Amino acid sequence: MINELENILPAVKNESQKASLQNAIAIGIPSMKQEEWKYTYYNKILQQGFQPAASAFDGVAHQQTTIAKEFIEANSVSQNRIVFLNGIFHPELSTLTTHPKINFWNSNNTAESQTKDFLIELNNALSTDGFFMEIGDHVVLNELVEIFYINDNCRQIINLKNQIKVGKNSQIKFAEYSISADGSPAYNNTVTRMEVAENALVEFYKIQDGGALFNITDNMFVAQAANSVCNVTTLSLTGGITRNVLQFDINGERAESHMNGLYLLENEEHVDNRTLVNHNVANCESFELYKGILGGKSTGVFNGKIVVAQAAQKTNAFQSNRNLLLSNDANIYTKPQLEIFADDVKCSHGATSSQIEDSELFYLQARGIGKEMARGLLVFAFGEEVVEKIKHEALKEKMEKRIGELLKIDL
Amino acid sequence: MLKINNLHASISGKEILKGLSLEVKPGEVHAIMGPNGTGKSTLGNVLTGKDGYDITQGTVTFDGKDLLELEPEERAQAGVFLAFQYPVEIPGVSNANFLKAAVNEIRKSKGLDPMAPNDFLKLMREKMELVEMKKDFISRSVNQGFSGGEKKRNEIFQMAMLDPKLAILDETDSGLDIDALRIVANGVNKLRTKDNAFIVITHYQRLLDYIVPDVVHVMYDGKIVKSGDKNLALELEEKGYDWVKELDNVAM
Repeated sequence: MINELENILPAVKNESQKASLQNAIAIGIPSMKQEEWKYTYYNKILQQGFQPAASAFDGVAHQQTTIAKEFIEANSVSQNRIVFLNGIFHPELSTLTTHPKINFWNSNNTAESQTKDFLIELNNALSTDGFFMEIGDHVVLNELVEIFYINDNCRQIINLKNQIKVGKNSQIKFAEYSISADGSPAYNNTVTRMEVAENALVEFYKIQDGGALFNITDNMFVAQAANSVCNVTTLSLTGGITRNVLQFDINGERAESHMNGLYLLENEEHVDNRTLVNHNVANCESFELYKGILGGKSTGVFNGKIVVAQAAQKTNAFQSNRNLLLSNDANIYTKPQLEIFADDVKCSHGATSSQIEDSELFYLQARGIGKEMARGLLVFAFGEEVVEKIKHEALKEKMEKRIGELLKIDL
Repeated sequence: MLKINNLHASISGKEILKGLSLEVKPGEVHAIMGPNGTGKSTLGNVLTGKDGYDITQGTVTFDGKDLLELEPEERAQAGVFLAFQYPVEIPGVSNANFLKAAVNEIRKSKGLDPMAPNDFLKLMREKMELVEMKKDFISRSVNQGFSGGEKKRNEIFQMAMLDPKLAILDETDSGLDIDALRIVANGVNKLRTKDNAFIVITHYQRLLDYIVPDVVHVMYDGKIVKSGDKNLALELEEKGYDWVKELDNVAM
């Protein structure tokens, strides 16, 4: 991989991107020897043959419009859409571009400061597309903004770099879908930075459902100003190796941050959720609920870090990670990390792993519900606590239906 | 309808039922009374197929079928219902979804299509009235945050929805105040027909003032030691359970 990156270095002309690529090469690919990669074998993604490239994938993308169109028609719950096919912005399928209240560019050339993270540097170095979206002040958008990443037979690493700015007093909801048109191997390495201005209210739903061969490394950074509320809910429904890094920087007082996640794993699926909340100022609250349903030989990893700065008095920070293990071969590694430098705070964390309760199972069976269906209902109920955080009725129902389908229950 | 012959059952090697025999015919209400720890609830659990019990001897047939061979859900589908002594809370599953699944799984076992959503809602509303359930009940999680009385009413409500042939009420009266007791008993009485039957397990004669039984059985030490008409319950109330223990000695 590093050799391949060195080979494409001459082709990268943009100075910021070139610096990032050099930086990525210097950092090297993540190794399980690193604490934050202890349970996730990054090389396993690369071993599937995904190539880094300095230019957009010039394969079949636009010829697949018909498939993508059908797919969107079947899955979309909104009229505001941004569509990327194999990482390339698709203007015909995207409807949001001319929205009167949103400034939208289908590229994001924001210069980035240097990091020590291989994936973020790789993303900046090789991003060919992505979006920049600016929502002005006092914009209340009732309709959901849908972002589709549709992959189709592409063995290139797709690096999407996005930036979202939500203005003061504005309200907006996003749903981001990572999906595959044909179930073929895919790897998306995405970085999204979002700024939430004062009094803004933002909901962001990540739906990862690309099938067993779809790999994701996602970095999302949210910066919140005073009195804002932001909720990021991540549903990892199907996938290969998925790693979600979610960071909140709470920079204004009386802001509220919500992080929710549901990972539904079977076979050899692997999801690694890492969250970091930086409470930088006083009087803020953060709430975190991640729930896992793990079957087969799947692996779940959860690392939740909360840092409360000395100035961040009167902070309330709550974190919970609960797991339902459905098989003896499933694994969950969970770790809360609290670093508290202020003295007047309320912080709590909890992690559990459990199995289906026999008494609940019997109660359902005693009412005539077959064992498989009864198990499905109980598992569904476990996940529902996260799904019901989705504050968009049509999307919530769609997700409930999809989860029911994956659990083989008919609701 | 139900024939239990010389039933022996044990849990973790300890014998609880020690040769129990009972026959219930359509249209009958049987009361089973007796002190704590005599195996009344075990009987209900064994009949509905709860895990953990070893049947060491005896037979149970229901409408001619070997009941003990069936899975719990198959017993329910065949028309056996247990109103639990301690109803289980199921967070996240709404009463509506729970009962829709139950009704439709039972219909499926009979080769019927799922009930149309409108018909289902209508049926639910009708049966909710029977046990005086509040409207928000439909969307609440099964038994979660319910008071003791609400849980017991929910059991009777489920019974009304599923319309079983044989209903076993396991101490449905325990922990109920007089109003809840009246609602529960009223529900049962309205559901009585010439084709279905009830086994009412209770400590106290009180419930039997409302649900008048055809036969009263006294259970002690894993078997039925005396049977009689409704007056037996009154006699028991008067003489107390020590009298039963003496009966058992005589029987042995």
